[in-house]
Amino acid sequence: MTRPVIETRNLRKRYGRAGGIESVDLAVEAGQIYGFVGPNGAGKTTTIRVLLGFLRAAEGVARIFGRDCWHHSHIIKRDVGYLPGDLRLYPWLTAQRAIYIASRVRGVDLADAARELAARFDLPMNQRVRTMSRGMRQKLGIVLALAHRPRLLILDEPTTGLDPPMRIELANCLRERVAVGDTVFFSSHSLAEVEQLCDRVGIVRDGCMVADESIVEWRERAPRVVVLRFHTPAAAAAAVPPDFLQLTRRQDTAWYATLHGSSIRLMQWIATQPVADAAVERPDLETLFHSYYLATRGPA
Amino acid sequence: MIRGVLVKSFWESNLPTLLFGIALFLVMAILTFVIPQLQKEIGQALAQLPFAKSFLAALLGIDVDQEMTAQVLQSVVWVHPAVLALVWAHEIVFCTRIPAAEIDRGTIDVLLGLPVSRRSLYVAETLMWLATGCVVLAMGSAGYFVSAQRILPELRPGLDRVLMVLANLFGVYVAVGGLAFLVSACNSRRGPAIALVFTLVLASFLLTFLARFWTPAQQLEFLSVLHYYQPAQVLRTGNLPVRDLAALGLAGALAWTAGCEVLARRNICTV
Repeated sequence: MTRPVIETRNLRKRYGRAGGIESVDLAVEAGQIYGFVGPNGAGKTTTIRVLLGFLRAAEGVARIFGRDCWHHSHIIKRDVGYLPGDLRLYPWLTAQRAIYIASRVRGVDLADAARELAARFDLPMNQRVRTMSRGMRQKLGIVLALAHRPRLLILDEPTTGLDPPMRIELANCLRERVAVGDTVFFSSHSLAEVEQLCDRVGIVRDGCMVADESIVEWRERAPRVVVLRFHTPAAAAAAVPPDFLQLTRRQDTAWYATLHGSSIRLMQWIATQPVADAAVERPDLETLFHSYYLATRGPA
Repeated sequence: MIRGVLVKSFWESNLPTLLFGIALFLVMAILTFVIPQLQKEIGQALAQLPFAKSFLAALLGIDVDQEMTAQVLQSVVWVHPAVLALVWAHEIVFCTRIPAAEIDRGTIDVLLGLPVSRRSLYVAETLMWLATGCVVLAMGSAGYFVSAQRILPELRPGLDRVLMVLANLFGVYVAVGGLAFLVSACNSRRGPAIALVFTLVLASFLLTFLARFWTPAQQLEFLSVLHYYQPAQVLRTGNLPVRDLAALGLAGALAWTAGCEVLARRNICTV
């Protein structure tokens, strides 16, 4: 069995009065796009900072490529591309200078790869950071994270400040990297983005992992929205919902309900009922996330 | 690996270093030119103002009444508060960049995202600090030498003695810089780091001054950086102040090493 690219066990780090992580267990396999989601202050950035060796975990284990994230941080980073969440760059920096410095530090000429990425993200090479918009700075951060073709990309809310075409371009870029065996670990507030892009998703809340599943598994487990239309209002009123169908609203000839479990049973039940039309919709991750949150935390 | 960090550090610090160097060049050139011309007035002022005499004696580390020759008067250039303020300001600004200023503005995330250890980062920054210190002091010395051409040769200190004073000043630069690195390593905000180093340097300055009048301060004077910087003695005797240089170097090295260890072990948090 191959070792996960990112591996944490019982990771704990508290700092200040609030913030930090209590217990984070992760296992991100090679070739995955792993979405790390959670509300503000849940512990996403703290986890990333421990992974990058900025913070030392109070307890637990954090490893990347099998190496300890604190003691071997600078070795690990040879194969890691990192984009900070709140990216701050030197005002005097240009893309060209940034790539020159990164090339010197990494001991590899990154000029060609960087030019290619800059063209892809429509980033001027000679504009100073102090005159760049937030989106431009974010693009420069992305170019710096990707240029050395790292085996692992750690991106903290990478689409912040990017316009929709650039978001798509970034998604394409990440898919290309994963297709050749690289791994992507990214935190995001946009669940639609995670749903679209990720193979697996981890949810962190109050510093603890509350879910870590593949998108496919999650969708299968999630309740689906069902709309049934009966032939007549009387038929709609007379019908009795089965236990796997939770009725949320009746309106004239229509039933609005959520389905728990397999849709085959629903089809079988529909066949015995005076139903004129049926629609089963797959819930998006957003709905799923909120239902999960409410289920584990309880309503506020 | 370290070359990349040196390049970054150079791009960031070349302009401030040049400006500090030009300022020091001008200040030293002006002082070197003006002080010999005011020798008589200075003598009169010192005779009338005991406070000024004590102040000068504290700065020069000699008895002004007995030993004030034209050559020794030249040493005022090297201890003038404007000269010391420029040298210290340059290094305090430089040495509080990593990590305090980098954390303060959030750029350390990008820097530490590169495959470079914190110790390497610290060493690279130190190399650039020493190099910029040489540049600033060389420019200041150039100002001195340019103006010294106008002084009568018999009143002008020999080159060897001036270089010894310069070495002594570089020792002070190392000691204060080492302290600034340590304070910076313990801080996540540049403002408080600069304020703390400045306060310590000012306290050191005042301690030397107080030691002229107050016995308890005399017992603590060894803690002052200026206790180990006595250009008047060097210009007068022509002896290299080896013990002073060793003390300054050791203090700087100890503080620097402590700063390196603190940086290597501390948590870095920009949020």
